[in-house]
Amino acid sequence: MKRGRAVLAGLLVAVAAGVAAAEEPLPLHGFVQTASAYRLVRPRACPPTQRLACDESFVLGEGRARLEVDPRGERWGLVAKGELILDAVGGEVEGDLREGYLDLRFPALDLRVGRQVITWGVGDLIFITDVFPKDWVAFISGLPLEYLKKGSDAVSATGHWARTSLQLVLIPRFEPDTLPEAGGRLRFHDPMAAIEARRTDEPSPALERTEAGARLFRNLLGWDVSLYAYRGFFHAPAGEVESGPRLRLFFPRLDVYGASAQGAALGGVVSFEAGYYDSRSDRSGRMAAVENSSVRLLAGYQRELVPDLTASGQYSVQVMQGHDAYMRARGPGMAKRAAARHVLTLRLTQLLLHQTLRLGVFALASPNEGDWYLGPEARYQITDALSATLGINAFGGPRRAEYGQFEGNSNLFAVVRYAF
Amino acid sequence: MALTRRTTGLTALALGTALLGTGGPAGAQPTADEIMARAHLAMFYPGEDMRARVTMRLVSRDGKERLRELTMTRRDVQEGGEQRYFIYFHRPPDVRDMTFLVWKYPGKDDDRWLYVPALKLVRRIAANDKRSSFAGSDFSYEDISGREPEEDTHKLVREERVGERAAWVVESTPKDASSVDFSRKLSWVDSATALPLKEEYYDRRGELARVFTAEEVREVQGLWTVTKRLMKNVQTGHSTQAVLADVRYNLKLAPDLFSERALRAPPAELVR
Repeated sequence: MKRGRAVLAGLLVAVAAGVAAAEEPLPLHGFVQTASAYRLVRPRACPPTQRLACDESFVLGEGRARLEVDPRGERWGLVAKGELILDAVGGEVEGDLREGYLDLRFPALDLRVGRQVITWGVGDLIFITDVFPKDWVAFISGLPLEYLKKGSDAVSATGHWARTSLQLVLIPRFEPDTLPEAGGRLRFHDPMAAIEARRTDEPSPALERTEAGARLFRNLLGWDVSLYAYRGFFHAPAGEVESGPRLRLFFPRLDVYGASAQGAALGGVVSFEAGYYDSRSDRSGRMAAVENSSVRLLAGYQRELVPDLTASGQYSVQVMQGHDAYMRARGPGMAKRAAARHVLTLRLTQLLLHQTLRLGVFALASPNEGDWYLGPEARYQITDALSATLGINAFGGPRRAEYGQFEGNSNLFAVVRYAF
Repeated sequence: MALTRRTTGLTALALGTALLGTGGPAGAQPTADEIMARAHLAMFYPGEDMRARVTMRLVSRDGKERLRELTMTRRDVQEGGEQRYFIYFHRPPDVRDMTFLVWKYPGKDDDRWLYVPALKLVRRIAANDKRSSFAGSDFSYEDISGREPEEDTHKLVREERVGERAAWVVESTPKDASSVDFSRKLSWVDSATALPLKEEYYDRRGELARVFTAEEVREVQGLWTVTKRLMKNVQTGHSTQAVLADVRYNLKLAPDLFSERALRAPPAELVR
């Protein structure tokens, strides 16, 4: 991985210093894991940009080794999680620093510097205020859920006073979402499939390109309440055709304002989240390439039906602003989305055999756009160290819809992990 | 308000019985309600706060073992009433670094939060059923943080020795049968320390289902503590032994420890 070689080197030095400073021998943790996913749906037609994805039977086939060290003192902590990945499908070996950060703890302030995962909001696989980078390829391919979240190279400062906390996040180096792309091993809807020449413009690391976020949170009358603000970019690229013809992918400016609340009510846990996406480079909605501003809302409910059986459901809606302008901007042959996208989700989790066997299913569907995702999964903890997971990722619906485009990636996956 | 009144009533009861003399002569025979109120405080409310390293050994009928190791802290907001628990998991590896926070309220569902370190996610957990197993063990949440004595009616059955110790045997019957999975419970309450030395839980058909045994009782900072606890499911043959080490009371734990801040970054002394 190109990203963060300097960070990695710096971190190794810091960890070495931490190890030397630690009074007790430093415990080493991590795991070795194999993961594979077999494609269940064969494509009928295949665009030229997706030949690999159409020919390859395995969406995923890899071995992974993770090492974690986390020396800590009273007022500081260091965390380094590095991985070596042997990708059998691509025939590659790569290293990745998943997380590597320094924590400093002051009486009323927590500081975290380095590559870190940041998670905001209360949604279950529906992200409104959580704008931080995600690896959708990992999710679609059947890797464990933790790989959906990517680290950000960031500085995070959280101040605490009078039971209220304020977190400020600065991300100088933009990290986009990892999405299926032309030439990759995942199938997706590519409206520009005819154009094979492509380039991606990432926001360069500079002060004006720095992403910034703030989260103000506290417990209010038994509810966990948060307010959010974010200034940065869409993490999924927009595409426009340049002369050549060539497809230019870029990340338009985005501001997000939001709020969430979660609390015990109605015999379970009730969640609300709301966000306004301000698409700063297309406030009028007239640019066909850039996503319009939108209002996004979510309500969720979770309840333990009987001991060890939990059910949860969510309703979410995304309302496009300036839908009239959007409709006018779309060309005659272009797909047109409705002003609102409604989504319903359901999750059931059953724990068995003293919680060593977990049977779960997550279902998501959009009643008005018709696309869906279904993810049944069984995970058995064979011993305290060894676990095996078997599951399915199934996608369906109209080919142009968010989840429908992934139908050809529907897979049966298996993960075996030995942790220490 | 009712809560405060009941709580102070309970404390007064316990104090009253304490004044009558711990392990005193049979002449000052406490009632079954008084015994169970005292047992509740002795088992679940000793000291203002506490910290212990807990090792749970889960053993199946065929002898297969699993280990859960955690550091547990507790702080009483109100003696006999509201409590807060903060738990850090050391083992097994797949839950290492997880933290768990419980705000326990008498007469109301707990608030529970779980922090998943891999996702840096603080998640509220639905807590409407206190019978749920704690971390897959034979102990339920209620076994760990206590069942309010007012939820059952109590009857003093007899006095009996458990090993060397004199004990009252109390039969408890739930007032709301649908709220629990036992139809009755027998408790052997140590007349000297008020700690339950043994408990038998009978299922809805009246069959013996689970047996609790206090395998080791030690005095820590003047407070009697069950440091080895065994819960055996006699119907499945599965059992869990919980061993409490490094027990400390009255550490003056800051209320800040029982917050989202600590969930995300637990203090170093809990993590070691």
